[in-house]
Amino acid sequence: MSKGLSIKRQLFVMTVLVLCVINGIAIWGANLYAERAAKLSFDRLLHGAALQIAESINLLDGRVVIDLPVSAFETLALAPSDRAYYAVTRLDTKEVLTGYDNLPSRFIFPQSVSADLGAEAPMYMEAPFYGEATRFIRVVKRLIEADQMVDVEIVIGQTTVARLQLADEMGGMVIRFLISFFVVTLALLMFGIWRVLRPLKLLKKAIEARSSTELTPLNTAVPTEIQPLIEAMNFFMAQLANTLERLKRFTGEAAHQLRTPLAGLNLQAQNALDEPDPIARKRQLNDIIESSALLSETVNHLLNEATLAHRMQSEVFRSLNLHTLVQDVCRSLVVWALQRDVEIAYLGNAEHKIRGDDVALTQMLRNLIENAVKYSPEGSSVEINLTESSAGLILTVSDQGSGIRDKDKQHVFERFYRGQHNQTMGSGIGLSIAKEVAEHHKAVLTLEDNHPTGLIIKVTFPQEATV
Amino acid sequence: MIRFAIGLLFLLLGSGSQAVSKHYLPGTLEGSIHIWGVADYPVIEPLLQQFQKSVSDVDVHYWEFGTKELEARLRTYPDDMPDLVMSPAMDLQFKLVNDGFARTYQSSVTEALPNWTTWRNEIYAFAFEPIVMVINTDILGGIALPRSREQLLNLVREKGPLLQGKMGLSDIERVGLGYLTWFHDSQQSRTYGRLLEAFGSHHAQLYPNSREMLDALRKGEIFIAYNLVGSYALEWSRRYPWIEPIMPTDYTSVVLRTAFIPAQAQRAELGSEFLDYLLSEGQQYMAQNVGLIPIVEGIEGTNSQEALKRRSHGIFRPIPFGLPLLVQTDKAKRSIILDEWRAAMTSDHKSK
Ligand SMILES: Nc1ncnc2c1ncn2[C@@H]1O[C@H](COP(=O)(O)OP(=O)(O)OP(=O)(O)O)[C@@H](O)[C@H]1O
Ligand SMILES: [Mg+2]
Repeated sequence: MSKGLSIKRQLFVMTVLVLCVINGIAIWGANLYAERAAKLSFDRLLHGAALQIAESINLLDGRVVIDLPVSAFETLALAPSDRAYYAVTRLDTKEVLTGYDNLPSRFIFPQSVSADLGAEAPMYMEAPFYGEATRFIRVVKRLIEADQMVDVEIVIGQTTVARLQLADEMGGMVIRFLISFFVVTLALLMFGIWRVLRPLKLLKKAIEARSSTELTPLNTAVPTEIQPLIEAMNFFMAQLANTLERLKRFTGEAAHQLRTPLAGLNLQAQNALDEPDPIARKRQLNDIIESSALLSETVNHLLNEATLAHRMQSEVFRSLNLHTLVQDVCRSLVVWALQRDVEIAYLGNAEHKIRGDDVALTQMLRNLIENAVKYSPEGSSVEINLTESSAGLILTVSDQGSGIRDKDKQHVFERFYRGQHNQTMGSGIGLSIAKEVAEHHKAVLTLEDNHPTGLIIKVTFPQEATV
Repeated sequence: MIRFAIGLLFLLLGSGSQAVSKHYLPGTLEGSIHIWGVADYPVIEPLLQQFQKSVSDVDVHYWEFGTKELEARLRTYPDDMPDLVMSPAMDLQFKLVNDGFARTYQSSVTEALPNWTTWRNEIYAFAFEPIVMVINTDILGGIALPRSREQLLNLVREKGPLLQGKMGLSDIERVGLGYLTWFHDSQQSRTYGRLLEAFGSHHAQLYPNSREMLDALRKGEIFIAYNLVGSYALEWSRRYPWIEPIMPTDYTSVVLRTAFIPAQAQRAELGSEFLDYLLSEGQQYMAQNVGLIPIVEGIEGTNSQEALKRRSHGIFRPIPFGLPLLVQTDKAKRSIILDEWRAAMTSDHKSK
């Protein structure tokens, strides 16, 4: 058996590939999202703390009073293992009012940001501070008292341990989920693949379970995609059954047909052996020779039929010229017919192409013309014609012999059947072969009476057989 | 190099100054460990000796600072650092760590500690210090002793004239621990305002450290001392039975003595060895032989938390170890608290 590609393996590989790609994208997306979410939530804490500090800054008699709320730092402490720094700076004098002296935005933020006095919205930045990645926020508050106005800036920095941790945690959760999702999906898909492919396995088992001679159609339930395969197999098996059946019949018949003449031969030879009169013995020996000639003819016929039957099973039709084929057959039989003082006349004169098997058709034609000659009286003629009609292409072989009586007509196509009172020698196979060949070509073989006497055999090829 | 030279210069000059007192325990092994702390040397000495005995017999240098001097020293000479820093000034310690002065240290010992005693694996609490009020029972013996701040206020209201100038407080302008505990009070209770008012109107005496305040109490110069370090007060009460420390039953503030290994420590391995010792074996030793209360619960001994819990006490409310401590070091906040304080204490109060 050739080692083809396993559908199962292909499906598996494809599934795994697709899942990997999808999961990869999902993990990437999840990490991105987790980072964003963590950043957002901790930025909010930072903003909250900044606002609480801003809330506690007031202008009192021209002096900036800062009463730092503990709650602001409790908010920051929600990131329990992060350092935090803060500074409140007067923007007009650049004086750090409280907190870390090195934290005013002009040291941390780009120049454009720290120069922006009236900025209401919080500004964020990430930069290393004391050697650790730190997230900064800058909020500006305008303090107003009577006709005085002072801008102060609040800068808070916090290290990023907690937000990275949160992002990792969320990402890790998603990854754990995705891994279990991957496993479950894969298992489900593998189950699905097994389910889908199961009919194939069942089919294989059904075929394996058959005996070598069982050729009835398979009726295992299979998916519609595989149905044509089953149909093809069933068709093939039907043909095989047909062939086998024919072979069986043929063998049986042949055995029967050969046994009788052989017994006859044996008897004749016995008689000849016992015959004391040399003249009579010579005659008997001649009879034996004749009988054996007939027997060998029968064997030939049988072999011919077997060959033809095989051809008809296997050979494909080709385009051929029926006109020349008939001509050739007639030509090959003319001399033989003349020896019997029978003339063969072919009346056809136009080319007719059909699709068919030339060997089989030749055999058919020979059988028909041989019959016509054989059953014709001396001095008569056999006419063969090929004409086109509305029904199709019509081949006729007509003679002026005795014809076939009506009660024989229904039997002459049976194998080994010979007309009653038939004095000639023969095996009774010729017509049955001819009929089989005609049917093989979808042609209809009919018998008609000729006038005044004789038989007309008509083979009508349907229109679609012609080219 | 120049910094180093300056550091040396400071050392030479510093040896004579009062800010630091230097102590030295020679060992038999090669190497030496430098520990800077705030605890009085006689208190800490047995612990250092025990370390030499049971862990590593190296030379031990212990330099005793005031809380503020210790912090200032570290900030001024960041290149000249000891191998371990110990101090009860949680706010200053925390700020140092927040500013990156400590190095991360983790071991099986530190991992076993409860979460609230450590931050970022950089600083570890090793002693539990309840803040108490101490009463001279000889003088106030006749009356029911105040067990809570509320009762103290009631006493002040009833016996006002008797307590005039007879209450003692740490001078929070000068004493770091005083400010720390006073600030904690301001965050904790509704009694804070009334306490401030009562202390101010009764001319509370202000002291620069626990020892002087306890001494004044012992001598009867004052009858009541507020917000004193518990371990010292307990120690004194054992020696002088007529003074009694009381853990207020409304709530008992707790200060944590903390230690960290400086980022620039020269012999950090010795520092971590000492830290591990301090947090494991040393805890047991502390409970029995040292005038400090171990942070680890479930240890028995005269100084253990278990012993404390057997006395009357309020909810132990440790000063939370975390970013809110930054507020305590905030100069704007400090000036607000001090303004309130000064206003209450008025100009005619006497400062010792
Ligand atoms: N042209 C014909 N005229 C009269 N009878 C015929 C004609 N063709 C066939 N028959 C009758 O039909 C019978 C069957 O013909 P078939 O060709 O099958 O057998 P056969 O000629 O007897 O023997 P063979 O097989 O040797 O040809 C013949 O025995 C004969 O009686
Ligand atoms: Mg024939």
